[in-house]
Amino acid sequence: MLNRTVLFVLLLLPVMTQGQDMPLSDVLIEGEAWELVGEGFKFTEGPAVDAVGNVFFTDVPSDKIYKVGLDGAVTTFVDESHRTSGMIFGPNGKLYGCRRGLKQIVTYDERGNATVIAENVDGNDLVVNREGGVYFTEPSTQQIWYISPSTEKRVVDHGIEKLNGIILWPDQRTLVVADTAGENLWAFRIEDDGSLRYKQPYYTMRLTRGQEGSGADGLTVDTMGRLYVATHAGLQFFDTQGRISGVIANPNDKRISNVTFGGEKLDTLFITCGNRVFRRKTQATGIRFFDAE
Amino acid sequence: MRLLLTTALLLVGCFLTGSKGAEQYTLGPDSQRQEGVPRGQVTQHELTDSQVYPGTVRDYWVYVPEQYDAAKPACLMVFQDGGNYAKEDGQFRVPIVFDNLIHKGDMPVTLGIFINPGVIPPSSPTAVARRNRSFEYDSLGDQYATFLLNEILPAVSKDYNLTTDPDGRAIGGISSGGICAWTVAWERPEAFRKVLSHVGSFTNIRGGHVYAAMIRKTDPKPIRVFLQEGENDLDNLHGNWPLANRQMAASLKFAGYDYKFVMGTEGHNGKHGGAILPESLRWLWRDYKPQN
Repeated sequence: MLNRTVLFVLLLLPVMTQGQDMPLSDVLIEGEAWELVGEGFKFTEGPAVDAVGNVFFTDVPSDKIYKVGLDGAVTTFVDESHRTSGMIFGPNGKLYGCRRGLKQIVTYDERGNATVIAENVDGNDLVVNREGGVYFTEPSTQQIWYISPSTEKRVVDHGIEKLNGIILWPDQRTLVVADTAGENLWAFRIEDDGSLRYKQPYYTMRLTRGQEGSGADGLTVDTMGRLYVATHAGLQFFDTQGRISGVIANPNDKRISNVTFGGEKLDTLFITCGNRVFRRKTQATGIRFFDAE
Repeated sequence: MRLLLTTALLLVGCFLTGSKGAEQYTLGPDSQRQEGVPRGQVTQHELTDSQVYPGTVRDYWVYVPEQYDAAKPACLMVFQDGGNYAKEDGQFRVPIVFDNLIHKGDMPVTLGIFINPGVIPPSSPTAVARRNRSFEYDSLGDQYATFLLNEILPAVSKDYNLTTDPDGRAIGGISSGGICAWTVAWERPEAFRKVLSHVGSFTNIRGGHVYAAMIRKTDPKPIRVFLQEGENDLDNLHGNWPLANRQMAASLKFAGYDYKFVMGTEGHNGKHGGAILPESLRWLWRDYKPQN
């Protein structure tokens, strides 16, 4: 009985404390604005941070992957990307990508050489956990796929109308998927075998007047558990209870397609927007899933 | 000049004591155990197979007054963040207050149902739970009402004879639990018609700030509402709680609702709401005539 009471009090503590509010003022730095990283591209996507803090992004129609060094210099990393879209770094320094042109999921080594880990799939965006398990979205079939660390692939969800961005919580046991056509982001519990349970429209986004859907695309998370999503309304973020807590303004007239934290201290947001890439220093710190033990 | 100085001194005084002018609220005799008053029983239960909120688990408690007679349908009152309301040493002490008020005939024989918010436990011991409180309480719409009516009430009704008279069914809560209680009655007034809100979050956590506007342009619903709020309540990214509650009260008045609004001096807690719980319940249950 005593144990039960103690447990009950412990369970109630987080419910009753009000210290979990996560306003814009906890994220943004006064005087820091969006800064142009590069422009003149066609359609930028897939920002991904490596172990050092360099950020890679793709220009989908021009078949190129670029690297933004810690000094801000933009160099070409891959010349023939076959329309690589979503990207993220996984364990062992490999850059995972959705190669839409060849309907493959691949990993790029540090020289940009690709190894195919899944074929005959039309992946849009992906996330890789610390064990090297991959979740990716396939909008053409409304399916979420899982590729195990031993590269066996299977469908783990079906039915989100226009699924797109995909991310893990920092603990890597909850998966979140964006629905571009809808108002909500969907949360799933990840089971030991990689399967998904308890699908829920946990996060409700701000919509822009005149737009039917949220335009939700790429996602990222930070060490506090805040979840960021690129949308028509700007870069929206949520607290750990799924409550919308801020909308960071889009610096230009092109829709934000995707977002990641990068830089040496992982404290800089990088966003891809049509022909441009921007960055902005924040008070938050990003997560690299391969960093976890 | 003298007035200014006095004001300044008062402000400094408030700052130093940290009270920001809050009154001291204390629990009266109706919130204490009284000799000779029959004691109801509180039992603990667990709900682990919700269809409305898949994957959630939660505790709930049922208070049954000593005067309960299975041959007569009892009234009921549902509390959100229920564990907090059911505690006999907490700010509300609902079982004690119910015992005293039912004994005095100030409220009908009423079962208390105290429900905690759901949690989706993690699939690994090192991972974090998906907390469902905001999703359940702050969301507009009828999902939580459906959960109560399809899952909680049928479970309690297996053992107890509950009234189907909506005027005999009340619902209350604190903070997000307060707006949740309002949302249930707003969505399903044929099921719940008495609402008790303590420092209710009628702010924009998940869109609840729109109620004050909606109430004014919606055909009035047969809901009786008691709103308690405090001048030192929250002012944060979601909104300003005292202003939001004033807006609610003004809209309820405009639309002709049977409401009572009490503005105290406390912050985002249950001190004031707990101290006035007996009078709040007397007001909500006044003139109630059981069916049959």
